[in-house]
Amino acid sequence: MAYSDKVIEHYENPRNVGTLDKEDPTVGTGLVGAPACGDVMRLQLRVNPETNIIEDAKFKTFGCGSAIASSSLATEWVKGKTVEEAMELRNTELVKELNLPPVKIHCSVLAEDAIKSAIEDYRRKQAARRAETT
Amino acid sequence: MSDPFSTLGLPASFDLRPDEIDRAYRDLQKVLHPDRFAGRSPQERRLGFGRAVEVNQAYRIVRNELARAEALLTLRGHAVSPDRKALPALLMEMMERREALSEARAAGDLETVRAVAEEVRSERAAACTQLSELFALEPEAGSSSVADAVIRLRYLERFLDELEAIEEDAASVP
Repeated sequence: MAYSDKVIEHYENPRNVGTLDKEDPTVGTGLVGAPACGDVMRLQLRVNPETNIIEDAKFKTFGCGSAIASSSLATEWVKGKTVEEAMELRNTELVKELNLPPVKIHCSVLAEDAIKSAIEDYRRKQAARRAETT
Repeated sequence: MSDPFSTLGLPASFDLRPDEIDRAYRDLQKVLHPDRFAGRSPQERRLGFGRAVEVNQAYRIVRNELARAEALLTLRGHAVSPDRKALPALLMEMMERREALSEARAAGDLETVRAVAEEVRSERAAACTQLSELFALEPEAGSSSVADAVIRLRYLERFLDELEAIEEDAASVP
């Protein structure tokens, strides 16, 4: 199967590969997997609690080129956005930008799920902190 | 289409030994060898060829534990849903393993790569034993524990595919 130029570009030069401290209360971690193909993806966001803006995003994906490209692009897109804006990210936007074929659409779904679950994790942590301080 | 077990004339069970699968396959191959169809009508030859293809496909499925488990669940009408999520603990474990492997690989630490391979291979064997027990416990049901065990085996197999590629890579370096 042929990958689009954009997928290859992200695959060869993935942006934001790495790890953030998952114990940090301003960091949300999303860990998702595609059981059908054995892929696993971890996506982390560092949010400024004052501004609600995502200041950093990192990912690590063990999977096919499309899964790596989807998570790479997703981290690029959410950086500088507010948590609410990032929540609006749809996998279809990734599909369009990366020109993913139908069999690889689930890779973009995975990236969307990862962003959402990272945000949920961040919100959980923040809520827990608020509960502690009050 | 008939199921891969009946194509090979084997019982629909997870507990098939490699040697009995191989024997069933070889016996059928002999019967279906193109030489046997010399002098037969084109229609018979076509049928024989089609059957040989089917037998090859069935063999590939039944011979592999993961494909066999999936075929068995499909046969029972309990195929693992493509939407089924992996358990968080499994994802965490696989993520840690994969990170350890990629670090060892980047550092050229072949000893660690081999140790990880050894570990994952023995876990793969354990996962197969677990599947066999689950299938025996619930012969007709497609319980969620069977589906989770199948998903676990998928992740382990995928991991081993990559490990084998790394090992081959390392072996080809003079």
